[in-house]
Amino acid sequence: MNGFSAFVRKETIEIVRTWRIWVLPGMLLVFAITGPLTAKFTPQIIGAMAGDQLAGLLKGMPAPTYLDSYAQWTKNLTQIVLFAIIIIYGGLISAERKSGTAILVLTKPVSRTAFVVAKATVHAAFLTLTVTFGTLVTWGMTAVAFESAPGAALWSASMAWLALGLFFLGIMTLLSTVLESQAGAAGIGLGAFALMSIAGLWEPLGTYSPAALAGMSAMLAAGKEPAILWPIVTSLTLAAALVLAAGLVFRTKEL
Amino acid sequence: MSAAIQVRGLTKTYGGQRALDAVDLQVEEGSIFGFLGPNGAGKTTTLRILTGLARRTNGTVRVLGHDVSRADNAVRAEIGFLPDVPGFYEWMTAEEFLRFAGGLFGIERRLLDDRVEVLLDLAGLSGVVTRIGGYSRGMKQRLGVAQALINAPKLLMLDEPTSALDPMGRKEVLDMLESLRGRTTVFFSTHILGDVERICDTVAILDKGRLVVQAPIDELKSRYGAEKVLLEVEDGADELAAAIAAAPWATKVNRDTDGTLQVTVTDTGAAKRAIPAMVAARGLALSRLEAGEMGLEEVFVQLVGEARS
Repeated sequence: MNGFSAFVRKETIEIVRTWRIWVLPGMLLVFAITGPLTAKFTPQIIGAMAGDQLAGLLKGMPAPTYLDSYAQWTKNLTQIVLFAIIIIYGGLISAERKSGTAILVLTKPVSRTAFVVAKATVHAAFLTLTVTFGTLVTWGMTAVAFESAPGAALWSASMAWLALGLFFLGIMTLLSTVLESQAGAAGIGLGAFALMSIAGLWEPLGTYSPAALAGMSAMLAAGKEPAILWPIVTSLTLAAALVLAAGLVFRTKEL
Repeated sequence: MSAAIQVRGLTKTYGGQRALDAVDLQVEEGSIFGFLGPNGAGKTTTLRILTGLARRTNGTVRVLGHDVSRADNAVRAEIGFLPDVPGFYEWMTAEEFLRFAGGLFGIERRLLDDRVEVLLDLAGLSGVVTRIGGYSRGMKQRLGVAQALINAPKLLMLDEPTSALDPMGRKEVLDMLESLRGRTTVFFSTHILGDVERICDTVAILDKGRLVVQAPIDELKSRYGAEKVLLEVEDGADELAAAIAAAPWATKVNRDTDGTLQVTVTDTGAAKRAIPAMVAARGLALSRLEAGEMGLEEVFVQLVGEARS
């Protein structure tokens, strides 16, 4: 076992033995269970809350389908889960600097680039596993609630979102390397999210860049087939570049 | 003998502030080297540069023959380091942390098992299954020393290793460092003079970022001086003190609260021969006459005082 693999192992065990195992998987599990049920029973919920006031409106509404369940899932991913990623990973590197643990690791045979890459790799794998697990539960719950749940739309939407999630993980890795404050990094990360939402309105960015992925994920969940390849390629490439940039920045930092 | 650490003209500035000012250091292989200085002298900054955690502004720094600015994993594999306040993964146990630290060095499983057992014992943490988050500062400090030794380093660098320890813990850590004499170069910073005096061969004194002196302890004591003679007489101490102060071998005479005369001398032999005669000539009764070396503390105070004046 070399320094890199020992550090990867530590980072993996740390996820399992600390709050990290509960927050993101817990959040996704709740959305995966409640999303399909909420979609299924939305008319009844609205009817129960509004009484006779919206009876006319409810009569005109089409019956919910599995696509509503998928839409609910991707909406939660794009908004709440992405926000959670930005906040959670705002301290990915800076928390180790602040607690002094980075000093004990980096005075051993582990390069600073390896330190950053190991952390980003483990959390990318964790995010991938968590989203896969959440998608699986959503798929199963949708099948139970609607008796029909074709997988292609849901899985393609989730995987498109995953590329966006990994891109933001890359952004937060860099921000948490540059800034010592977790709150500061999270604030700038949320700013980047808002900026990307606006940037997606410009067609080239809305077609080829990560800014396209939120909208395209929703389209895929609705059963449409947008041209997804370029945004995924650019997102994953930029995510890797951001992590490498974080490694280079970290090498210049004094601890 | 070659140098484990060689520092020439090391300067470090933060903004316009000079934390280190043209510091020269030479730490010979196999020595136990005490890096002394008051708080804020620049000891931690020096250690951070030596370990590659911070960059120098000027000067050259070589650790185990390698330029530290280009030091890679091969150099880090040969050193052990304990920072002043070690940060641990608090969800780990001591054993897990030592195994993790050993894993970072790529130590083979069986060897690691042996070392972990020995070091846990040395740190007094054998059988402690509590997570590190529940440890006292002293326990963390002892674990910090243990993790710095996991790779059997050629050069062990410690920043204030005994500052958080109780007297027993301090003794244990100092004994452990002393046991490494001749096998590992030990470089440790401290402001506790007694620790340095007890185990170090060589000492460097840093004050306000400047190296005041570097020398073997014995040489330092003899170079700066001045030794001490303590004497007690039953009566007439004031008259005797005045006579001694006029003697050519006496540089200072102090009277302690208990009446003991403390004479700083340049020639102990001359003092020991002359004092009894002076006592007898005045018809006084001598109840104590003792010669002693000047302690490191006095050398330190003298040198730092000179540097500041």
